[in-house]
Amino acid sequence: MFKQLGYVFNADDCIGCKACEIACKNENQTPAHVRWRRVSKLDTETFLSISCNHCENPECFRVCPERAFTKRSDGIVEIDESRCNGCKLCIEACPYSAPQFNSETQKVSKCQMCYPRQDVGLPPACVEACTTGALGTVDLFQFTDPESIRSLSGFPDIKITNPSIVFYPVKPRTRYFLK
Amino acid sequence: MKDGIYRNTCPRNCYGTCSMLSYVKNGRLIKVTGDPEHGYSKGRLCAKGYAYTQYVYNQNRLKYPMLQSPRGSGKWKRITWDEAYTIIAEKMIELNERYGSNLPCGYNKFSGNLGLLHYATEGMFNSIGPHTKPIGNPCALTGKVANHRSFGSHFSSIPEDMAGAKLIVLWGANPAVTNVHQMKFIYQARKNGAKLIVIDPVFTQTAAKADIFIQIIPGTDMYLALGIAKLVIKNNRHAREFLESDTEGWNPYRAYLDNELSIDEICHKTGVTMQVLAEISELYGSIKPVVTWAGLGIQRNMYGSKSIKAINSLAAVTGNLFIPNGGLYFMHFNVDDFPCALLNHKGPIHPSVQASRKVDISDFANSALQLSDPPLKLLWIASRNITQDHNFIAWQKLFEQLELIVTVDLYMTKSAENSDLVLPAATHFEEEDLHVGYWHFWLSVNQKAIPPYYEAKSDLQIARELSLKLNELSPGFSNFPADKEPIDWIKEELTPEILDLYSINGYEDLLRRPSKKAKHTIHKQNQKFRLFSPTEMRQNNVRAAEPPSPEKHEYKLITPQSLLKIHSQFESLSWLNKHHDDSYIEISNEAALYHNINNLEKIEVYNRYGQLVGVAKINPYLQKNIILAHQSGNNPINQLIHQQEHLVSADVSTHFYDSTVSIRKWSEAHV
Repeated sequence: MFKQLGYVFNADDCIGCKACEIACKNENQTPAHVRWRRVSKLDTETFLSISCNHCENPECFRVCPERAFTKRSDGIVEIDESRCNGCKLCIEACPYSAPQFNSETQKVSKCQMCYPRQDVGLPPACVEACTTGALGTVDLFQFTDPESIRSLSGFPDIKITNPSIVFYPVKPRTRYFLK
Repeated sequence: MKDGIYRNTCPRNCYGTCSMLSYVKNGRLIKVTGDPEHGYSKGRLCAKGYAYTQYVYNQNRLKYPMLQSPRGSGKWKRITWDEAYTIIAEKMIELNERYGSNLPCGYNKFSGNLGLLHYATEGMFNSIGPHTKPIGNPCALTGKVANHRSFGSHFSSIPEDMAGAKLIVLWGANPAVTNVHQMKFIYQARKNGAKLIVIDPVFTQTAAKADIFIQIIPGTDMYLALGIAKLVIKNNRHAREFLESDTEGWNPYRAYLDNELSIDEICHKTGVTMQVLAEISELYGSIKPVVTWAGLGIQRNMYGSKSIKAINSLAAVTGNLFIPNGGLYFMHFNVDDFPCALLNHKGPIHPSVQASRKVDISDFANSALQLSDPPLKLLWIASRNITQDHNFIAWQKLFEQLELIVTVDLYMTKSAENSDLVLPAATHFEEEDLHVGYWHFWLSVNQKAIPPYYEAKSDLQIARELSLKLNELSPGFSNFPADKEPIDWIKEELTPEILDLYSINGYEDLLRRPSKKAKHTIHKQNQKFRLFSPTEMRQNNVRAAEPPSPEKHEYKLITPQSLLKIHSQFESLSWLNKHHDDSYIEISNEAALYHNINNLEKIEVYNRYGQLVGVAKINPYLQKNIILAHQSGNNPINQLIHQQEHLVSADVSTHFYDSTVSIRKWSEAHV
């Protein structure tokens, strides 16, 4: 592998606007229940925007009986939907709910990190849509920043698959609530 | 329509007025993106913007003109456009014969689409001579009038300049939800060392991002702004020279703060402690440049006008009003620079009726009911869902009086359900238009990118065709210039003065990129800044009712914008909103305890105007006497909102946040 493309998510900069989530739907025209990217709340003040993490050790890849998953040389985990038999083993195995079952096609699909866009030099649709720059992509083989962290409180265990995502935490703030 | 990329502009009533690029293939909109040439949104949209393919090709969209008889029965029949125009034209002509003028015909149009060509509705009514028309602005009029008092004109600083501020203070504004593109300028400032302060009764998504969040009792912003100013002056941190020579009312303002307003009173009224007041005063007084943003939320209650003036005055006292990267933000009305030829279209003169009748849109139904000679008989609803108004009881009465209700909309809204006729409206991708923002200073076009969805038509096309039908049945009834094409109307807006203001040579330039108003033309001082006047405080002091409380079984109802809707728009898009999203009612810990209500339990919110069932969500940060509900078209919370008549006047917007409600556990017995 020459690269490991991954996401950088800055929880302090994320305002929870969901533009990334819907920009993904706009780009890929997925039905409402097929959510390749999702914005949720880890706690009352921390948003998480998450998709497939293109793990170093993808569980989907390991469990799929049809060998529908492949890992590209840039680290992107792809799924070939035509090979999917709808067994949902990958859905059970993935700690991040990345594979999404489409009840209309009876097949699984997931975030492919907009590789057709990346192949022509464009950022993934979600990254392009992020108005505060909270979401980005990096080559994790090259990336070092002592301020970044590997996980956020409330994020699923990263030991199993080594997800290709790094974080910046929420900074403490001053609040004066009414007594 | 050719395949390719078209330039559109999101026409929603929103700060963004985002230019967007529309990707069209085989006559179909396949995706949208932001426009990198738009200097405010910088190539990005919001979640709602990215959902536009679903908005256009939504199975709930209206496809054909439809007639419902009887009204409210749900028995709809598809009719042709010609039949629809005939029904409307015949009614207008008959009413004219019955009453001798077109005064029985009126419309209620507001902000569903803010494109300049959507003034076609106004133009169409103007074209039949004196009629009944709405005036005012239910959303922002209070602030607009208050700003005129302060500045002599509308005033709002340049959004991109916020990136250079060192302190940013948001009063009742929640850009993380309602103005997402502004957040990047705020963050840019913060990366350069600026602090963000949010003052709000509600712990909003923006409040969660603030360096300092100050929770305040709703409606008391005026006291906090005056209190901060008092301490800034006391500590000798005020802009003495500017205040003495360039403002009006400095001496009485200062005397009032020094002698009549005590710190104790400020803390008591606002709920903010003395220490916090001192801390924020220190920041306001010692840092430059400071941005002050008076949000629309400030002026949704009866104290709105005074609060806006007091906040404006604070920006003046600290010497930040007119310095680079400082300033005062509200919204602007630069649309007034344009000819607005459709809005100002001159209709025929009536032999005896001098002018149209004006009805205050912030209390439309109630005001319209007062009209008797002649009564209002035909109502045209466009770019408007009346479930976002208040005083539903008056609306119901008005409906009963009306002989024909026509609604132009994209969806079967509650307004449409209450109509005799619905006419399917085009989305902005299916029509041409021109857009000027009310927050940023960019001008952009909207190209027709795709053919109309089924039989949908633009407001302009409807105006053209209805006027032809009117004249066919009664020659000379309308003087609407039906032969003018959309492009003619757009070019008419681009006068030499406008071209100069926006540094463009013509329409074609706007097809290449949006254009920003030249900086030196944005604010022209034509009077001295007027400080908050204490006489107003003394003479016109609205006596505050005792604040509501759980013990008294009363709560203040606050209904801010939610992230994935604008009022009732976008509600039926499955990418954005699940059906149940509407009905969450946020309550405080104290209210939950008092009424023994569990999280996610079904509750009723009610007052004497109506009742509504929702799902309780306990919000630990909510003040104990506030109920927070989301606006909705399907299950409209506004049915509980009723502005008292003695507080309605021609220069205020609707006091949407001044209503009181009660709650209880839901029980079948109450149904």
